[in-house]
Amino acid sequence: MMYDVCIIGSGAGGSPVAYELSRAGFSVVVLEKGKEYKEEDFNKDELAVSRRELFTPDLKDEQHVIYELNERKEHRRYLGSEHQWSFWNGSMVGGSSNLMSGYFHRMKPNDFKLLSAYGEIEGANVVDWPLSYEELEPYYEKVERIVGVSGEVVSHSFLEPRSTSHFPYAKLEENGVTKWFDSACKSLNFESIPTPRAIIPHAALKRNGCSYSNFCGSYGCATGAKGSARAALLQKCDARVITEAFVYKLESDATKVTKAHYYDSDMKTHEISAKIFVLAAQAIESSRLLLNSKNRFFPYGLANNNNQVGKNLIFSGGGAGEGRFRFETLTNEQQKELMEVGLFFNRSLQQWYEYKKSDKKIKGGTIDFLFEHQNLIPRIKRAFYDEREKIIWGKALEQKIYKELTTSRVLNFEVFNDWLPTDECFVGIEEEIKDKYGIPVGAIYLYSHPIDREVGNDLAKKAVQVLEEMGASEISYSISSAPPPNIVAGGCRFGENPQTSVLDKNCKAHELENLYVTDASFMPTGGSVPYTWTVYANSFRVADILRKRLES
Amino acid sequence: MILNTRRNFFKKSFLGGAVLLFYNSSLYGAAEPLKTLTLAQVDLFPKVKELHVDTASYLLLILDHSRITASHKEFLRNGVQWLHEESLKLHGKLYYNLLEHERQEVLQEISEYGCGEPWIDALLTYSMEALCSDVVYGVNKKDAAQKWLGFCAGFPHPKRAYL
Ligand SMILES: Cc1cc2nc3c(=O)[nH]c(=O)nc-3n(C[C@H](O)[C@H](O)[C@H](O)COP(=O)(O)OP(=O)(O)OC[C@H]3O[C@@H](n4cnc5c(N)ncnc54)[C@H](O)[C@@H]3O)c2cc1C
Ligand code: SF4
Repeated sequence: MMYDVCIIGSGAGGSPVAYELSRAGFSVVVLEKGKEYKEEDFNKDELAVSRRELFTPDLKDEQHVIYELNERKEHRRYLGSEHQWSFWNGSMVGGSSNLMSGYFHRMKPNDFKLLSAYGEIEGANVVDWPLSYEELEPYYEKVERIVGVSGEVVSHSFLEPRSTSHFPYAKLEENGVTKWFDSACKSLNFESIPTPRAIIPHAALKRNGCSYSNFCGSYGCATGAKGSARAALLQKCDARVITEAFVYKLESDATKVTKAHYYDSDMKTHEISAKIFVLAAQAIESSRLLLNSKNRFFPYGLANNNNQVGKNLIFSGGGAGEGRFRFETLTNEQQKELMEVGLFFNRSLQQWYEYKKSDKKIKGGTIDFLFEHQNLIPRIKRAFYDEREKIIWGKALEQKIYKELTTSRVLNFEVFNDWLPTDECFVGIEEEIKDKYGIPVGAIYLYSHPIDREVGNDLAKKAVQVLEEMGASEISYSISSAPPPNIVAGGCRFGENPQTSVLDKNCKAHELENLYVTDASFMPTGGSVPYTWTVYANSFRVADILRKRLES
Repeated sequence: MILNTRRNFFKKSFLGGAVLLFYNSSLYGAAEPLKTLTLAQVDLFPKVKELHVDTASYLLLILDHSRITASHKEFLRNGVQWLHEESLKLHGKLYYNLLEHERQEVLQEISEYGCGEPWIDALLTYSMEALCSDVVYGVNKKDAAQKWLGFCAGFPHPKRAYL
């Protein structure tokens, strides 16, 4: 059978295309290497989901090789399986969007024109997008309605222009400690913003409302309230999803992709023919598949005759920090508020999305605040060491665990700023290391520009001010060059010039007539927010382009 | 259910085979890894016993898991050897033949070694996992940690074992 569209990867990048085109009457097949889980399969089994990482591949079977650049500009090599360093985020129908926390921010207008707004940065490949915020705005709005984004629009220095005045879903219920946060911000003259979430607060869109399970990030949603690609899109359309289908090669002639080849769970090979192929296997794996799909027309990998595939890999820059609130310093009422489980914290600061330093305009970012994850084991493990960093056990440990978990709570913050694209951060292929299918694994070359850390530190200091003002103790933070594997983009950047980009403005490969890439690979710069709202929005945009193309 | 099948695993597992011990540069004898590890777990966190958590069964269950690497198992097994050899050095007896305060002395001693501290950390971690495990795994039948710590989140619970 010849499908109209074959999509590789069923996550946030692939599913809007599947949803839109199958609902428009086109035949759509989605090839997904993971299994299918539905609401009734999801639970909060910490041992299976968090401790043994049920939803990501075992590194013995599938891994990456990681190269880190040191100060002497030498690469240090890490075999993922040996160092337990994983870049997998969620292999299942709906991809890692099932496991996201759903902190959703739009990119700001200046994020689309980083080069013109802030100028060149030495050692970084900063560019303007071939697309403006105004062009993407209708799709951000569409995501709010169809995937379901809840929140409250409040005016602040960097509120992006919106075509609607409200979110379609009211903000989620909040923990009482947010009041302490708001009043701390007020006295500091900081602008507190309720964080928008891809979670619906009540039954809508044929999904249940949030049950405030408190185990959101890293866990599948048992109610369907979380706007995963599966719950919000794939379960709402009749695109055919083939599970446990690992695509190892895209076949092409000189101008078109002709077939996707995949292995099923019994290692049997299959092939799918389609008019249009949409690649959305998440940033690193999409580049890997293209690089592994060499043929006589594309000897360096598909769509890679200009040697751009895999280049300019980016992550979210920044880091994380925390402060602890202890009963000793709180009233009875405050103690109760602090320990209330379920309700969200949901506060962000974006006042330094742009700021001045030595009279220079600097691109800053976002700070999200959230309670420490309720996972019990990591919270217990934090009590294992005393102030001198020596391990403790017995009664001393028992008492410490009890005290920490029942009379104190940690408030975290996460800083999101640009991870500047550079020549040193990219995806390659490690020819001699193969995965369980016998296919060469991806090599991830890591490097973060020093400015990323400088900006991250500036932002973290603002978060610390809020924690101090709120009365937190044991405040600490870490801004580093360690990449967050779950917020990853680039590798197939879009742009006008085929010499410096892989995709055109429509996310179609410059070098092929029918290959599109719709995961975060297309992003030439990442903005200073988590990426998923933008990934969803862009995929809806490309779906419109494809519909018009198929209709004509 | 799971535990029954996992018990068969014990026969072929590294926990089933004896660990050879050396004392004063010559072979002293052998020790039983599972017996040693579970006793050390109770010595390190007696609360597990008070809360009726079956840490021995949990070790059998978890150390058979595909995500636990061979090198980690080797590390745990080496720890059994250090523990007994340190016991022999300090008190002339195997760890499980010592009095409680002597065993604490040995634990204190090995915690000073570079590898000793992570070994204790690993054993404590498995105790905490057992303590927090869901009822479906059968080692924490009374939701011990949840009750002890007044923990009331984490719903829905698994209907079957996912590990
Ligand atoms: C714990 C966690 C928390 C997060 N929190 C947030 C958040 O708060 N806010 C936010 O904006 N983002 C968050 N994210 C990130 C978000 O999940 C991703 O940005 C988003 O899912 C990316 O979409 P994608 O389509 O690129 O990848 P995915 O959604 O991961 O989908 C890719 C799919 O492709 C499949 N695949 C890969 N290779 C192949 C192949 N060769 N053949 C077939 N199938 C293949 C994978 O199995 C996967 O299902 C979080 C992620 C995680 C893991
Ligand atoms: S019910 Fe709410 S808190 Fe729980 S996983 Fe779903 S969206 Fe997250």
